[in-house]
Amino acid sequence: MRSSRSADRSLSPEAGTTRKLLGALLLGGFLTLGCDASLVAPIPAAHDGEATPVRGGVLHLSSFADIRAFDPANISDGLVVELLELVFAGLVNYDDDGKVVPDLAESFRMSNDGRSYTFTLRQGVRFHSGEELTAADVKRSVERALHPDTPNPMSSFFSMIEGYKEFQSKASEELSGVRVEGKYLLSFHLTEPDATFLPLLAMHTLRPVCPSAGARYSDTWHPCGAGPFMLPDKGWDRGREINLVRHPAYFRPGLPHLDGVTMTFFVNFMTEKYKLSRGEIDILREFQQPDLVRFQSDPRWLPFGQYEADKQVNGEMMNTEMPPFDNVELRRAVASAIDREHYRLLKATALRSATQPIPPAVPFHEKDWDCQKYDVNAALEHMKKAGYPYDPATKTGGYPDPIPYTLYQQGLSSYTAQVLEQDLAKIGIRIQMRVVNYPTYLALLGRRKTTAFAPAGWNQDFPDPSDFTDTLFHSRAINDEDSSNYAFYASKTADDLMDRAKHELSPGRRATLYHDIQKKICDDAPWAFTHYYRFYDVHQPYVKNYRTHPVWTHDVKFSYLDRAGEGARTALSRVGLSPAAILPRWP
Amino acid sequence: MVKAALRRLAYVVFVVWAAVTLSFIASNVLPSDPARMVAGPQARPEDVARIKKDLGLDRPATVRYGLFLSRLLHVSSLPDTDAAHKTCGTLGPLHVDLGKSYQQRRPVLTILGERLPRTLALAVVAVFLQVLFGVSAGAFSAKRRGSAADTATVTASLLGVSAPTFILGLFLQWLLAYRLNLLPLDGFGKTFAEHATCIVLPALTLGLFGAAYYTRVVRDEMRAELLRDYVRTARAKGASELGVVRHALANVALPLVTLIALDLGGLVGGAIVTESLFRWPGLGSLSVTAILDRDGPLVQGCVIITSAAIVVSNMVADGLYGILDPRTRRR
Repeated sequence: MRSSRSADRSLSPEAGTTRKLLGALLLGGFLTLGCDASLVAPIPAAHDGEATPVRGGVLHLSSFADIRAFDPANISDGLVVELLELVFAGLVNYDDDGKVVPDLAESFRMSNDGRSYTFTLRQGVRFHSGEELTAADVKRSVERALHPDTPNPMSSFFSMIEGYKEFQSKASEELSGVRVEGKYLLSFHLTEPDATFLPLLAMHTLRPVCPSAGARYSDTWHPCGAGPFMLPDKGWDRGREINLVRHPAYFRPGLPHLDGVTMTFFVNFMTEKYKLSRGEIDILREFQQPDLVRFQSDPRWLPFGQYEADKQVNGEMMNTEMPPFDNVELRRAVASAIDREHYRLLKATALRSATQPIPPAVPFHEKDWDCQKYDVNAALEHMKKAGYPYDPATKTGGYPDPIPYTLYQQGLSSYTAQVLEQDLAKIGIRIQMRVVNYPTYLALLGRRKTTAFAPAGWNQDFPDPSDFTDTLFHSRAINDEDSSNYAFYASKTADDLMDRAKHELSPGRRATLYHDIQKKICDDAPWAFTHYYRFYDVHQPYVKNYRTHPVWTHDVKFSYLDRAGEGARTALSRVGLSPAAILPRWP
Repeated sequence: MVKAALRRLAYVVFVVWAAVTLSFIASNVLPSDPARMVAGPQARPEDVARIKKDLGLDRPATVRYGLFLSRLLHVSSLPDTDAAHKTCGTLGPLHVDLGKSYQQRRPVLTILGERLPRTLALAVVAVFLQVLFGVSAGAFSAKRRGSAADTATVTASLLGVSAPTFILGLFLQWLLAYRLNLLPLDGFGKTFAEHATCIVLPALTLGLFGAAYYTRVVRDEMRAELLRDYVRTARAKGASELGVVRHALANVALPLVTLIALDLGGLVGGAIVTESLFRWPGLGSLSVTAILDRDGPLVQGCVIITSAAIVVSNMVADGLYGILDPRTRRR
């Protein structure tokens, strides 16, 4: 059966040209209409400045992405972290400066040898289900999260807890390193002192979950914790939106101020902008590039915009096990030949030139230190030492063959690749681009002796420099498949420094160690660090007590709405529930 | 009759099997790891390995394929509450099992069950609008051959076929939802009334895009029909112009049915761009996400629905030919 439509598609070339012309006209017309759109004015707040917090209202957020699961024991996307922060409270959390402070714990102390941490829990803390939080709940939640049958992508981060190996291998039914010392007293015991333990504990993975979660992970469990907001029945419409409502018995009196928080998923950037204009969302975090420039240049919006912390480092990865980058001088040549300013200008609203492996928002980043820098003369010198001298005047010499460069289409890499190509041409290196899709790129990048040269990046998992240095450059992170040490870089000196820094608890001594680690990595150049990526957001003026958070990115836990006439929209009515309807079920 | 029906059923089964098998092979040949996509790009190798085992991806592809086929349609006396049959859909003792989505960790049948009615609704409304606009404009244009109205219709249809749906969709969204505030920007809604308003923009986008083709087809076919002897005879016998158009339209129905069948089949597979643009939670957006995430079971579920929809809609079209034109029955 031949389709008339397919017949129609085989028009004459003239008709095809006419059609393309008309399409271009339509596109042009549309873009003219769309691009004339100057920004709508922000919706003013009822009061100037930070007024007395107002109780009520629902904060509306949106994203082009979606969440896959909603369980602290199964975190596999970045977006869900913001929602977990609202629903699950932890023993410790990060304050506004990124410092670890007690949260569900009233206090905690570390033993002199740095191997034990004892937490005293607040009394009277209620889960969303009404039960009181006890030390046994914390232990149960930890064991549930770290059980080998739990699909937890972050389990191994906690391998420093005593008994982890036995528990993971099912040799033991319980995690011996977590001990209940009393109804409100709990201790964690580590195999050796570990500076990453507290920063990791402050993340979401081990946060206490309601008794309804049981001792083992289940896909069908209804998320329930002790955070300021709770997820009502039918509050999560998968792939569409999530509606959280205020936890009426949250342990901090008077908080949260909001009645609810709603997040809508899969909203495209253009629609997000329209929704902000119409007050359908209150914070905008995703922009098309021209819109971002408009927001940043509009004096009405400028006071309500802010950059988020730089928690991502990007660079050009050079596989140290594969030619030609098994030659350290060639790697150094590449690291010196890249003009970071060229990269930054590709998206000046979001990128900053990278100078070192640890991004600015992460502890022990050293401001004003060019650990790696652009110096084309030095690059030419390294080319000579590598055995591939290049004369820029005659354009002779250099590395003889084009180097395969594997990249994926989404994101910036297709643009940065062109900058790279031009910068490297100046020192006699040619690259041959090989474009693959993202899942393939990930698989190839982590496979041994497969990818010689590729763009790479790393986002902060938890705010400690080891998350960058150890994960990307420690020989322990080398694996035949799924290696996170993409460059397969192995240096005994660097390994020793990293091990010492991980177990060193003195911040001063750690700072010195991380300086040495970064220096060593920059010098050996398994990566040429190119740029840090930071996001920008704007909020409506009536969203008060809102700021970007150094760890959680957006922290709206204790925000409030100061909007004239606010109150009509409530998450409760949307899901047909009220706190009053839930309270009587409590013991 | 029964023999023919069985032959067609076998044909459907073969096509669906071939499509699913090809998609299974493709997802296993590609150098990517579904467990890595589940765990996230930064998960450590030991965590990825554990998730791989949990998903059963540590077994050889042939074993997984065999398991998939044996579970796809099986007979069991156990209910779907039984641990081994939790992902099954049951029709008495007959069980259909597409497994569990790697990413969502829910039965694929449940996910498809949520999405399919929404996609069907969008497909039906969109095709209805395509036919309504396309046939009206095509017939109108054919009847006023060479007039300014004809030229305007042809130009409009040319514009329609030239504009990709994302351009048309963005324009309609900007105009009808953002500027004029007549419709919601996107979404699905919670009540029937909300669903009805939310479907307008995506259906209109698809409807206008498709109507442009329909206009051109109907116009050309109608022009040919209006020059035929039976039309001249009808007119000579004093038939009204409306009656003439009605007669001619009946003869244009054959290519139209082909178009509708193809469109309906294709749209059931999901209008990927339009669904994504307007956040219509159908199979199109689901398929894209599943493919990008290498969510094998979900991809296979989408492939089954899509291929079955296309084959079945073509079969229905074939059946309709016989009704619309008895001469085709003998073929």
